[in-house]
Amino acid sequence: MPFGDGETILDVTRRAGRQVPTLCHDDRLKPAGACRTCLVQIEGARRLAPACSTKAGDGMQVTTANERIDEHRQNLLALYLVDHHQGHDDCEDGAPCELHAMAAAYGAPTDWEPLPLARAERPNDDNPYIEFRADRCIACARCTRYCDEVEGVSAITMAKRGIETTVSTADALGLFDTTCELCGGCVAVCPTGAMAEKMPLVAKAPPERKLHKVRTTCNYCGVGCQMDINVDGYGNNGKGQVAKITSPPPGTLPSDGNLCVKGRFAYDFIDHPDRLKVPLVRNAQGELKEATWEEALAAAAKGLRAVEAEHGKDALAFVSSSRCTVEENYLVQKLARVAFGTNNVHQCAAT
Amino acid sequence: MREESRRASVPEELQKAHAAGEDATNVAAKTTGVPAADVFGVDTFFNLLGESEKKLRVCTGLSCRLAGSEKILAQAQAAGLGATESSCLAACDRAPAVLKERRTLVEITAADIKRSGGDWKELDSKEVPQHLRWSGHVWPAESKPKTCAINLAGKPNWSGAASTLATEMGDEAVLAAIDEAGLQGRGGAGFPAAFKWRSVRGQAETKRYVVLNADEAEPGTFKDREVMMKRPDLVLEGLAIAARIVRATEIYMYIRGEFEIPQQVMADAIERTQSAGLYSELHFHIHSGHGAYICGEETALLESLEGKRGQPREKPPFPTEVGLWGKPTLIQNVETIACVPSILTRGGEWFKALGKTQPGSKLYCISGHVANPGVYEMPLGICLDDLVQAAGGYIGKLKAFSPGGASSGFLPASERKRPLDFKALAEIGSMLGSAGVVVLNESVDMAWAAQEQLLFFERESCGQCSPCRIGTAYQRHLLDGYISKRGQDGAKDSLSKLSMVSKEMIEGSICGLGQTASLPLTSAIQYFPGEFA
Ligand SMILES: Cc1cc2nc3c(=O)[nH]c(=O)nc-3n(C[C@H](O)[C@H](O)[C@H](O)COP(=O)(O)O)c2cc1C
Ligand code: SF4
Repeated sequence: MPFGDGETILDVTRRAGRQVPTLCHDDRLKPAGACRTCLVQIEGARRLAPACSTKAGDGMQVTTANERIDEHRQNLLALYLVDHHQGHDDCEDGAPCELHAMAAAYGAPTDWEPLPLARAERPNDDNPYIEFRADRCIACARCTRYCDEVEGVSAITMAKRGIETTVSTADALGLFDTTCELCGGCVAVCPTGAMAEKMPLVAKAPPERKLHKVRTTCNYCGVGCQMDINVDGYGNNGKGQVAKITSPPPGTLPSDGNLCVKGRFAYDFIDHPDRLKVPLVRNAQGELKEATWEEALAAAAKGLRAVEAEHGKDALAFVSSSRCTVEENYLVQKLARVAFGTNNVHQCAAT
Repeated sequence: MREESRRASVPEELQKAHAAGEDATNVAAKTTGVPAADVFGVDTFFNLLGESEKKLRVCTGLSCRLAGSEKILAQAQAAGLGATESSCLAACDRAPAVLKERRTLVEITAADIKRSGGDWKELDSKEVPQHLRWSGHVWPAESKPKTCAINLAGKPNWSGAASTLATEMGDEAVLAAIDEAGLQGRGGAGFPAAFKWRSVRGQAETKRYVVLNADEAEPGTFKDREVMMKRPDLVLEGLAIAARIVRATEIYMYIRGEFEIPQQVMADAIERTQSAGLYSELHFHIHSGHGAYICGEETALLESLEGKRGQPREKPPFPTEVGLWGKPTLIQNVETIACVPSILTRGGEWFKALGKTQPGSKLYCISGHVANPGVYEMPLGICLDDLVQAAGGYIGKLKAFSPGGASSGFLPASERKRPLDFKALAEIGSMLGSAGVVVLNESVDMAWAAQEQLLFFERESCGQCSPCRIGTAYQRHLLDGYISKRGQDGAKDSLSKLSMVSKEMIEGSICGLGQTASLPLTSAIQYFPGEFA
């Protein structure tokens, strides 16, 4: 196989269509070589080498599967499983578990007696979005490296050592009390659902593999990230419900698997009881009452014209939401300039 | 470089802030500019930082256990001293040892505990009061410069004669002498020293570093402590010679945090040589460890020097190419470096001839069931019986021994004539390692001894790679299961997964810790099957 400068064995084997399992790897991160699932045999080397961090070399002969490697993978995965939440289905509430899938794919024994949990949790973290479930964590450090290397936020860290190695924050504080921006990238990169989303867990949403993904564009701002709405067709008494939002896989689109706090987590308005579905207009007593669109628009126009009459055209200003499309923004400035004769028009994402 | 050195000072800033009772994470984050979470990650990695509120730690090393440290711990706890456990404190010759903040107190007795009156500050050894710069028993007790390359009983020589000689000889002649001497690394791996020196010398990058590995934390090992205490002159001179050969001017001495006294001795020695104008173009820096055995592994040591969690790096690249802050780095053990001056003054040929089966004289640490535990400088390749004869004989009947620290596993009495060298021990799946020899007599239960060693590795695993992180805990779990059912039918079934676990630890672990951590148990089962029936 030909290879380019700096390419790793993993890059080359993937191009060759060979399966090499990985748990701690993410193309956006520097290779860590720590999960040991990607060990391969290099002709002439005594020890197996991590495919993710070993550079391809001239004339290098690499074996990605043989008896020795198979045995290593099975024993390794069996060890992972003794230090992990037991049972596939249970484990997958919240997010898919790459570990269980890998253990099944490589025929790892699943009947080794489990160890008691030694990783500390952070039970008092009251942020509304992200939960750390220590029993699922495999200490692969994808989340902490992502937070550091991709987001540049460094809110989370690996803490303690040995079997107690866990994911924590400065002084094990809740995420609200750290530099965390709640982008949820740690949730997205976690291979086992240890970094989990609180809302689907609270709502007891079905596992992700049972959800239906609908690709759309985030309309929270002008960047236009692509996102996948994960719909539970049976939720909300059969009416269907958005269970969570995920990013399309890294490397496929310009947003490269990233989302921000709004894109990833601010979807609960969709079925929220407080959501406005019809216009409301205040009556003479100042109470909000349901109205038709004609009534609502007439009331708004009347109010605007009244300001214009009393204070002049430039007493009016129009600000459109960052959630408006280009076409809608066009119409807002038309409304301002043509209907009301003012140039006081702005868009909230224009800062 | 400013950012690098700020980062490197994270552990030190944490130590200071803890001592001052401050909000350590945030204070250290502010002074260093390192994110608070990363600072916390470092803090919780090192026992002496993250658990700095614990003031007394009782050694759990095998020799201290044999000397009753378990009782001392129980008594200390009962006396309200708030004592906790510590991994081996490198005072096996003066067991049982207790760490008081960062000072090692030796030969602690029940009477000492009583005298403390329940106040940890008052705990002291009546035998060896802590204001003393205590050291250990060494052999030969008189100066023998002709047969001992290090010669612990010899008077320090502050003339810098060997270093001057090295300059006169020229670099190639120095390297040739080290080559001829056949000097092998004495930190554990036995790697030829000259090879590393040449490798660093040959790098294209011109910024290079020399690092002294004085982390000495392999259970049963306390020779580097004695070298620093008794011959700091040789350590500095060896470092200076090495630094000139590899063209480095910055020398970092990584000394374990529990070595408060040796740190002081080395600091005084630096002061002394520099004020006498010796090695004046070199900068010696002392970096204290903070309680983590793994930082003795050379790449973990580098991470720790850089102010990070002490997690080993994948090799290759080796530190000689990509070391401290990514620059070529020569890392050498204290004993290795201390051999250099006499090799130059007396010749490579002389050094080589000092050995019996392999080149040189060697510092053997002996403790456990022997009459006179201590550091013995003897020809490399003597056997256990020779060593113990010098050490005043066995206490009780020899049952088993550990030839080179916990990582070397156990050997049966039948190996008492085997040369204690790098090659002969490797042939039977053991190793000379750090030459920390622990002798066990017939009173010792091998399952118990293995359990103590397994606990050590579990506690000291850095946790980065899963074969070791989970494997060390799981093998101990399996052994606990066996011990709890011992004597009952099917007790042995508890160990049925062990061979798969140990195989994976050897195959999959990143560094030597995980790769050897199963040896105490697998060797105990191999040689003493009757005790695991
Ligand atoms: C787990 C582990 C712990 C180690 N601890 C020490 C130590 O305390 N002191 C030491 O000199 N070498 C230690 N080593 C060996 C070092 O990695 C390295 O080989 C040595 O410092 C090189 O110096 P030398 O060639 O002079 O022996 C350790 C290795 C491992 C794998
Ligand atoms: S083998 Fe153990 S100590 Fe070494 S890198 Fe892996 S987890 Fe850390």
